[in-house]
Amino acid sequence: MNFKKICSFTMVGIMGATTLVGCGGKTSSEGAITTPASVEKKDEAAPASSNEKVTLRVLAGQSTTDAGIEDMIDEALAKKYPEITLEWECIDWGKDFQPKMQQYMQSGLPDIMIGKAQDIATYGAQGLLGDLTGKSYMDNVLGEALPGVTIDGKVYGLVYNALYQGVYYNKKIFTDNNIAIPTTQEELKAVIDKLNSLGITPFATHHADTWSIGNITMQFAINDVFNKFPTWGDDLRADKVSFIDSPEYRSAYEYNKLIFDNTWKDETFSLEQTECDARLVQGKAAMKVSGSWSIQNFLDIDENFEFGIFPFPNQTGDAKLIFEPNITLMKSAESPYQEAIDKVFEVMTTDKELALEIYNYTKTASMLKDVSPTFPNPSQVDIDKYAASGQIVDANTGNNQLQWGGFQEENAKDIAEWLQGNASLDDALKAADARKANSKP
Amino acid sequence: MQKITEFIKSQRIYSKSKKQEEKETIKEEKYTSSTFLLQVFMTLAALFFLTPILIIFNYSMKTKKELYIGNPLALPETFNLSNFEAAFNKLNLVVSFTNTLLYTAISVAILVILCGAAAWAIARAKGNFFKFAYVYFVIGILIPYQALFLPIYIIGYKLSLTNTRLGIILMYIATGISFGVFIMTSFMSTVPIELEEAAKIDGCSIYRTYFSIVLPLLKPAMATLTIMLSFQIWNDYLMASLFVSSKKLKTLTVAMQSLFSQQASDYSTAFAAIVISVLPIAILFMCLQKYFIKGMTVGAVKG
Amino acid sequence: MQKNSLERKETLQHMTLILPGMLIFTIGLIIPLFLAFRYSFTNWDGMTIDKPFIGIQNYIKLFSDVYVKDAWLFTIKFTLWNTILQNIFALLFAVALDSSIKGKKIYRTILFLPCLISALVTGFLWLKMFSNVLPALNDLLGTNINFLLLGNKDTVLSGLLIANNWQWVGYWMLIYLAALQSIPSDLYEAAKVDGASKIRQFIHITIPMLAPAFTICIVGITTGSLKVYDLLVSATGGGPGRASTSIIQLIYTTAISGRQYGYGCALSISLVAILLIVALIQVKVLRKKEVQA
Repeated sequence: MNFKKICSFTMVGIMGATTLVGCGGKTSSEGAITTPASVEKKDEAAPASSNEKVTLRVLAGQSTTDAGIEDMIDEALAKKYPEITLEWECIDWGKDFQPKMQQYMQSGLPDIMIGKAQDIATYGAQGLLGDLTGKSYMDNVLGEALPGVTIDGKVYGLVYNALYQGVYYNKKIFTDNNIAIPTTQEELKAVIDKLNSLGITPFATHHADTWSIGNITMQFAINDVFNKFPTWGDDLRADKVSFIDSPEYRSAYEYNKLIFDNTWKDETFSLEQTECDARLVQGKAAMKVSGSWSIQNFLDIDENFEFGIFPFPNQTGDAKLIFEPNITLMKSAESPYQEAIDKVFEVMTTDKELALEIYNYTKTASMLKDVSPTFPNPSQVDIDKYAASGQIVDANTGNNQLQWGGFQEENAKDIAEWLQGNASLDDALKAADARKANSKP
Repeated sequence: MQKITEFIKSQRIYSKSKKQEEKETIKEEKYTSSTFLLQVFMTLAALFFLTPILIIFNYSMKTKKELYIGNPLALPETFNLSNFEAAFNKLNLVVSFTNTLLYTAISVAILVILCGAAAWAIARAKGNFFKFAYVYFVIGILIPYQALFLPIYIIGYKLSLTNTRLGIILMYIATGISFGVFIMTSFMSTVPIELEEAAKIDGCSIYRTYFSIVLPLLKPAMATLTIMLSFQIWNDYLMASLFVSSKKLKTLTVAMQSLFSQQASDYSTAFAAIVISVLPIAILFMCLQKYFIKGMTVGAVKG
Repeated sequence: MQKNSLERKETLQHMTLILPGMLIFTIGLIIPLFLAFRYSFTNWDGMTIDKPFIGIQNYIKLFSDVYVKDAWLFTIKFTLWNTILQNIFALLFAVALDSSIKGKKIYRTILFLPCLISALVTGFLWLKMFSNVLPALNDLLGTNINFLLLGNKDTVLSGLLIANNWQWVGYWMLIYLAALQSIPSDLYEAAKVDGASKIRQFIHITIPMLAPAFTICIVGITTGSLKVYDLLVSATGGGPGRASTSIIQLIYTTAISGRQYGYGCALSISLVAILLIVALIQVKVLRKKEVQA
């Protein structure tokens, strides 16, 4: 009884205290928020000089693997340009980046936005983003990253890191059973048969996450469709091609069935990523069509897990490993603090210690010249091999043709319906054609 | 004034007699075999309700490896608090916790007073305006603000309320007021009108009557409303993510969301964060339970 | 004359008590509703500055859209089952806790605890329960019960109902419990004297006396379930496929990811209209019953 009383008094006390503090705090924080806005107006005529204090608003669309890099950036920035402060707004890229951007298009964009390279196609064309062409710091960025973020000859994004996508495989299972890396569909089928006869589930999948279906379908499509028809999406919108009549897209869809037939069928729609990654590490399955976002999981579960990566074989046997430019910095064209933003971008591209810290933390690949991450990554050997022979392709070849949110995502739901037996493959393909109005990035 | 003190006395007597009554009813019934069956049934039910909560606690103390590889039902090998530490850092806990507490406390406090005032006026004053006001407020219960978030944001932006503490508090008030007025109005019939009339004769203004006579009598209703609204606002995700997403204004749920995101890998931390976020509100409920249930009695009996 | 002006002054003062709340409410919810109504006649994508007017085309499209139909079907099924199950279980638990069993307080607290957790977390928690915890129970007991409810279109509804009931039964139970405890005991005593059995007592005294509580619970559960969103986001994301896409979720994906903001607004408006109608009918019918009783 007494304990309860004490509890309730403390709670009420805390609530009361914070209410008081809050009233004081509120005015001060309001001040802090309104000031930049008012300064903004004054500064428009005379841009912030180098020593004046500037606060930049940053909208960062992140996945969990990225969360935390904002502190590293803050620290590095404070060393070089103490007068610049960043006011971070970190959100989930998959779920909240688009709503937030939509929100800010009503009210004015933040000074810096961090998204994925595919966002450039969506927002760059609207004239909202600042042009980065010819800025000296862009020289530090790998040339491969540029085409995906260029619209009409102007560069709108600074690509900072990349994820590799393909088939991650358990090296031990492959070497123990003398399995060679498959490069054609026939070879892949042979590998699947062998694994099945050994009693090992060939593929680890987690279809409870619809995004996973969407992601692997795009991986297939990049190697089977967009590699050959780089403007397939534009052609679709111009009524020149369609999902239902494209044998290439049909086979990209059909791989989903191949995988579904060779995984834990009953469980996959209840499993999500972590559980699935854990099973791959434990050797319960041999392969997983995935991306670098799984590496953090792999190493968390077993720091000695030996894994490699290869591109999912396509019909013609010339599939390439996919790299997806990930963290991409954009600046607002309207921001009055162009100079300060450039300084931030300069720190991001020239501070190699910072870059190394971020890559090692996020377990991702570098998009800066002369910086390579030092975290143990067993799949790096494979990546280097494919990179050396030029068997690498940018994920944006597909993502810039077909919009992710509202199109690829919806198509993934159709595929799920088909895999679960509620619709036919033709239904799924027709449904994709029916919503092609939403397909433009 | 005399009348008032008299009334309060009679209230006290009334409440005493009610307590005695309660005791009597408990004595009355016997513990039979069918009661025993009920006991078994309720124990099973309680087990069903408790298990997921125990799982949260269990998971929050497991290491990542234990979580992914070990048996889900097994207890953690060591009593390990590192997840809480990680949650503390990743969520920017001091800031997000204070923010959540602040928004919840202020908006609930204002809501309770505003809803009480509106409900009292609706119950006492005559005229079509007040009838209309009641319907107007109550319709709000049916408006899913989740579906209106872009217009809500546009309005908020036009009034420069976005990313301010004031903005989110006003929005919580706007979305909570319907329910509050609904509950408070149904309570009003329990507030004796005689007292107010006595106050009116004594020359009290409407405001004074409200603050010094009506408000104290509304305590049980206020407790109910405080709890209901507190946990709604405490757990709100959508409104907070719309209005206060900058890092220093974030709430716990918004901060927590990043731990559940699509390519997330950090479930052990997420579970620790759940524990941290639920604990304060659970303690508040347990402490105010008595008032809460008393308050609900009135609401349920007189819908 | 003087009395009249006094009354008027009082009315004015009463009004000032309502107005601040009304103002905030209007700005925060009613004006956005009207804005949404206006946008519902455009094909605005939510981003561009101009919002082209297209008349009632969006509303016409509503009736032929198969996804809208499916989402409504799911939402209605979810709502109906929820209303039935939650009322039955809440009443059952309330009756049990109104008897002379021991440890009432502990049961009451345990049953209520889940509704302190946010729906987002509840969804996530039950996803883990079904895919991870309960199958481990199978291994432990050597049974083979299918717990993977959320992964199949035929069972996803039952999985979500379990999660939703787990969260909310305790809340409604408290309301029934409170109502039960307020029934004057002399009514039962009189019935006992007349020789009525326990069951007859329950039907003829308890149920009619619970009428106001029924109204609150039924209206509360239906309107709440029709608005379900948070739970789905973290439990199924609307899947597998589209099997558990609720109407609010469809609005969200249509308006935001699908960039059809105008159409999404038309969906919102139709939802508000239906919610209003349902609630009005319920209140009318239930109140009538209350009066009859």
